[in-house]
Amino acid sequence: MRVLLIVAIIASSYGVMAQTQLSLENLDDFKSQAGNWQIVGDVSMNRNVDVHHKPAPEESKKKKKKKKEVEETPKAVDFTSGTGILLNINDDQKKDHIITNFEHGDIELELDVMLPKGSNSGIYLQGRYELQLFDSWGSKNPKYSDIGGIYRNWEKEPGKILVGIPPASNASKAPGLWQNLKLHFQAPVFDRSGNKIKNARFVYVELNGVRIHTNVDVALPTGGPIANNEVAMGPIMIQGDHGPVAIRNFKYKALKDLNAKISGLSYKTYLGEYKGIEEFEGQPAVASGSAKLIDVSATGEEDNYAIVYTGVLNIPESAEYLLSVGYTGGARLVVDNKTVVENLSSGAQGMLNEKVNLSSGTHPFTIYNYKSAGWRGPRLGFFIKGDDTNPVSFHHFNSFPDTPSGVSPILVDVAAQPKLHRGFVTFEKTGEKLSHTIGVGSPDGVHYIYDLNAANVIGVWRGDFIDATPMWHNRGNATFVPRGAVQWTFLNQPLVQLASPNSPFPDKADFSDFKPKGYAIDESTGAPVFKHEYKGVEVENRVQPDPTGTYLIHEITLSQSSPAGWYYKLAEGYIRKMSDGSFAINDQQYYVNVLSGQQAQIRTVNGVQELVVAVSGSSIKYEIIW
Amino acid sequence: MVRIMNRLKNIYIPLLAMLVMVQSVVAQKTGSESDYYKLTKIAAPEGVQLEGGGVLVLQDGSVAMSTRRGDVWIVENPRMEGGTKPNFRLFASGLHEPLGLSYKNGSLYTTQRGELTKLTDTNGDRIADEYETIYAWPLSTHYHEYSFGPVIAPDNSFFVSMNVAFGSEEWWRGESRVPWRGWMVNITEEGKMTPWATGMRSPAGYGLIDDELFYTDNQGDWIGSGGLWHVPKGAFIAHPAGLKWTGHPDSPVKITEEDFYSNIDKRQVRENGRYVKPSNIENEADPDFVYEMKEKFPEIQLPAVILPHGILGISNSQLLVDKSKGKFGPFDGQVFIGDQGQSKIMRVVLEKVKGEYQGVAFDFRSGFQSGVMRMDWDQYGNLFVGETNRGWGSAGTTNSGLEYVTWTGKMPFEMKTVSAKPDGFEITFTKPVDIASANDLNSYVGKNYVYKYHAVYGSPQTNIEEANIKGVKVSEDGMTVRIVMDNLRQYYVHEFTLGGILDSETGGNLLHPTMYYTLNNIPEGSKLPLNELSTKRSGTTKKTVGKSAPAKMNHNADNPNAGGAAASKKSVISDAEAGRMLTKNTCVACHQKDKRVVGPSFQAIAKRKYSDEKIVELIYNPQPKNWPEYATPMAPMPQVPRDQALKIAAWINSLN
Repeated sequence: MRVLLIVAIIASSYGVMAQTQLSLENLDDFKSQAGNWQIVGDVSMNRNVDVHHKPAPEESKKKKKKKKEVEETPKAVDFTSGTGILLNINDDQKKDHIITNFEHGDIELELDVMLPKGSNSGIYLQGRYELQLFDSWGSKNPKYSDIGGIYRNWEKEPGKILVGIPPASNASKAPGLWQNLKLHFQAPVFDRSGNKIKNARFVYVELNGVRIHTNVDVALPTGGPIANNEVAMGPIMIQGDHGPVAIRNFKYKALKDLNAKISGLSYKTYLGEYKGIEEFEGQPAVASGSAKLIDVSATGEEDNYAIVYTGVLNIPESAEYLLSVGYTGGARLVVDNKTVVENLSSGAQGMLNEKVNLSSGTHPFTIYNYKSAGWRGPRLGFFIKGDDTNPVSFHHFNSFPDTPSGVSPILVDVAAQPKLHRGFVTFEKTGEKLSHTIGVGSPDGVHYIYDLNAANVIGVWRGDFIDATPMWHNRGNATFVPRGAVQWTFLNQPLVQLASPNSPFPDKADFSDFKPKGYAIDESTGAPVFKHEYKGVEVENRVQPDPTGTYLIHEITLSQSSPAGWYYKLAEGYIRKMSDGSFAINDQQYYVNVLSGQQAQIRTVNGVQELVVAVSGSSIKYEIIW
Repeated sequence: MVRIMNRLKNIYIPLLAMLVMVQSVVAQKTGSESDYYKLTKIAAPEGVQLEGGGVLVLQDGSVAMSTRRGDVWIVENPRMEGGTKPNFRLFASGLHEPLGLSYKNGSLYTTQRGELTKLTDTNGDRIADEYETIYAWPLSTHYHEYSFGPVIAPDNSFFVSMNVAFGSEEWWRGESRVPWRGWMVNITEEGKMTPWATGMRSPAGYGLIDDELFYTDNQGDWIGSGGLWHVPKGAFIAHPAGLKWTGHPDSPVKITEEDFYSNIDKRQVRENGRYVKPSNIENEADPDFVYEMKEKFPEIQLPAVILPHGILGISNSQLLVDKSKGKFGPFDGQVFIGDQGQSKIMRVVLEKVKGEYQGVAFDFRSGFQSGVMRMDWDQYGNLFVGETNRGWGSAGTTNSGLEYVTWTGKMPFEMKTVSAKPDGFEITFTKPVDIASANDLNSYVGKNYVYKYHAVYGSPQTNIEEANIKGVKVSEDGMTVRIVMDNLRQYYVHEFTLGGILDSETGGNLLHPTMYYTLNNIPEGSKLPLNELSTKRSGTTKKTVGKSAPAKMNHNADNPNAGGAAASKKSVISDAEAGRMLTKNTCVACHQKDKRVVGPSFQAIAKRKYSDEKIVELIYNPQPKNWPEYATPMAPMPQVPRDQALKIAAWINSLN
């Protein structure tokens, strides 16, 4: 038999292969509808205009005045012609849902969605199980009817009632911003006679990077389905009758089961404090035998063992496959006599992953595993997954159990007063771990991270405050994790003197002229006032929630007015000036709005746009809205 | 016990060299530590984790405590006199693992991981509203980069100490990724930082003695055993990580890494593409010792007092001088040093010989509820102790807490101090000794040893030699004993167990019968003439005869009950002998007979019903996974001789 094996070199390019992205160049991927849905090139929404404040109320009094108000009100949704975005603007006549031509069972789906203020929509998996879309900005206790909620149905009959499931937290963003939704849905499963044997399930749903559902079964269709029956395959339906919604980057991957098998599995075990494969390979085995599945307990030992499994992998069709070996100690996977992936530690713990092109037919494989690390339990698992398949495992449950450690999380919440907590923080945009950072939580549930080494707000989020488990459990790693959808900003020292208006901001503060001085607690608010000295000027930073407790206002005050050549950087990334005078940052991820009167300029340095103000007066005040 | 001791015939038998008390054997007359020093717990409100990072008694008698959780609590009414309740106030919070507290001019100062911080209450509500950064330093964000302090220097500046990080692949190798990890630095109120000294590995304990800076370190790579070091400016202690920054113009230490490693093996070996963790070389022909390196690098500061690892702690912490003027008992002016892992406090007495500090260490008080981290005195001579085990496990079974120690007023029978003499040591007692017991050389067993200086984690006791005691001289008042020996060895730890010395008043034994003297220098002066010494040995007749056939007397001689056990089952060693073996092999660093400490109790192990062979196997090749509720995995103990391991295993199984 001819065997073909190509080890993937550029892993990143493979993610796209079995994933389908709707082109959104036209409406050909959808069934026809009344015309409320269209393809557009760009969408911009005015975050201040509520779509439900329409002229409609037919009350006679003040009718004239109302009309005038409406005329003066800017439009909630603006768009340009072009392609790439699916936009719904419904009215009383045209208010159809839109339905995809494709049908799906198990599916991974990812898309960006934008809603104007007050709007309401929903995504129905298989046309039957609705994940709610809603302008839930600022909602403190999200319900099933808020964005990310799994909607209820309206049945009254006992046994047919479906209760809605709210998202675990409100991870939503302000109106007019793009929000990322990512999910894995499993279709219900039926036996041969058509009886349902497994419920539909949201394996996970993530909104703006925050997991809001995990392994939620949905026993019945939610309210307003395309049909009331449950089926193996159905289209995606997006609600179009309750207000505008824009969708882009609509990507999905239909998942199927993989009929891969292993055969001829046998093993050899070795006992010893091995630090590498060469130390036991070729030595006489302590035990050997054949097996149906991989099971590390065949060594009979907790530690200081090695085990080698050989067998044949039977692949149903030629394709690229992700091969994974979960292990403790060290491990190597060999397929078709070539090493696919390895970690030659003796005390590691992890998952080796490699994408490999495998032809249909048989492929001999060998897995080496050895461990000399008493503090780790024996673990060995072997998985294969096609790009568009569910994974198949070839090990006993106990050889690689899929349950976590069972550590009680140490969660820090905010009570009546603002809560401060210093710790290392990973700046997720770059992966850099920052050392002199402090999380500040407000009782309103609007939080931020301040970098004391740069005097900069580097991340903001709403919801719960922080998870200190990584910091305080056992020895800890001194790092806390925000419990919400963090809008990360940028890492420079934002307030600096520049040699010229186009000079770049320094990557790191220069401590010969930048002196962090800590903070004082404002007695009236309980909030910190951060202090530092820069080139002899005393600077204070205050960050407070807006009066509604939804977003943040950052004020920087200087002991000297209008120092020459000083600039303040407000943001970086792709920057768009909005009709209300604020700026949408990084492709409508968040807004910055200057309150203190200075004119913010968009400049480009080293190919990156920056929003900068020249420092005039002794205060800069701006809103961070997300 | 004295009778038992008197029956020991052959003090040159190696087994007896390790004679160390096992608590259960201590005679009733002696009493227990709690008869003399009482511990009182201060219970925290539910949900409050007092993981003690700093402890400081304030002017009004309340106790400030900084915690790993980032809080500074002020505990008012901490003594709870008259059965009253303490009051917990949250003075500050949100700090990054503040591991120390000091007071100056109305403010508290603490060291966070990345800065020295001044905490001030400006509006009188006893809540800090200013968190002022005095000086911030870089961190690589490795978890092990703890920062400790501050110590307020006599000139009102601050000392802060900086733990090292560890390697990524070489996870065993301490490294200084950013300045000034592995250093102690001096910082002024105005925020001017001056590097002070380096060579620190894990400098969790610090303090002033005679207005001089001292610190404690833990056993690890390049640190053979924990101990107490004097830290004059420009000193290099032992760990080479901090040498990375000696090229900096502000560095007072001039040894370069290159210089250093050209004189000693870095033990950095790659085999088959991976680094090999260095391990102790058994029967090493010519091991390196730090005092030898001092000849090359005079900046090296030898430990003033070695705290033998596994015996006097496993993770030494705070040091504190007794300035209570007797309110805390007979140890005024002496130094107390805490230990996290063993949850106890040791006692140290320093003297200066030839211009350098050296001295003696003893056990003082064990039984704290968690690892002893920080200590401070109140003005009534109570010792407040802030505790944590910081995820490493400890003898104390809780993770954290606050306790205080009170002298009950009863005089313990202890060695008060030991000083070096040209021909041995002079021991001063807290109470007169029974002259006859003190004149009997069988009351004394001694040995001396040193620790290796190498990249390996810790060192075994090396070059062990029995103390060759020529004789003793007991003062007329029974308060002092001179021990004269002919094998004093400079730089070595001289350990003596005075198992047979009796309290003249009660007839009891010493509360802590063993002393550990670090002999960096042997003082000049006249030696005692031999004719002034007592050379009496009880049972001397047997000594002369016994030389030919001593072996059978070794084992069960000291426990009359052991014979029965041996007769009924297979031969199981006595508790006392087990105690010696367990001590010698440093098992007791982590295990006790009937109590969970760092590891499970021997009784708990017995319940697992392993075979003796299996236990031996587990000694050589532990399976920490078998004990998931213990945070600190046991290290393999291949150095335990197989015959001893088997005896220990049989003894463990006899506990079931």
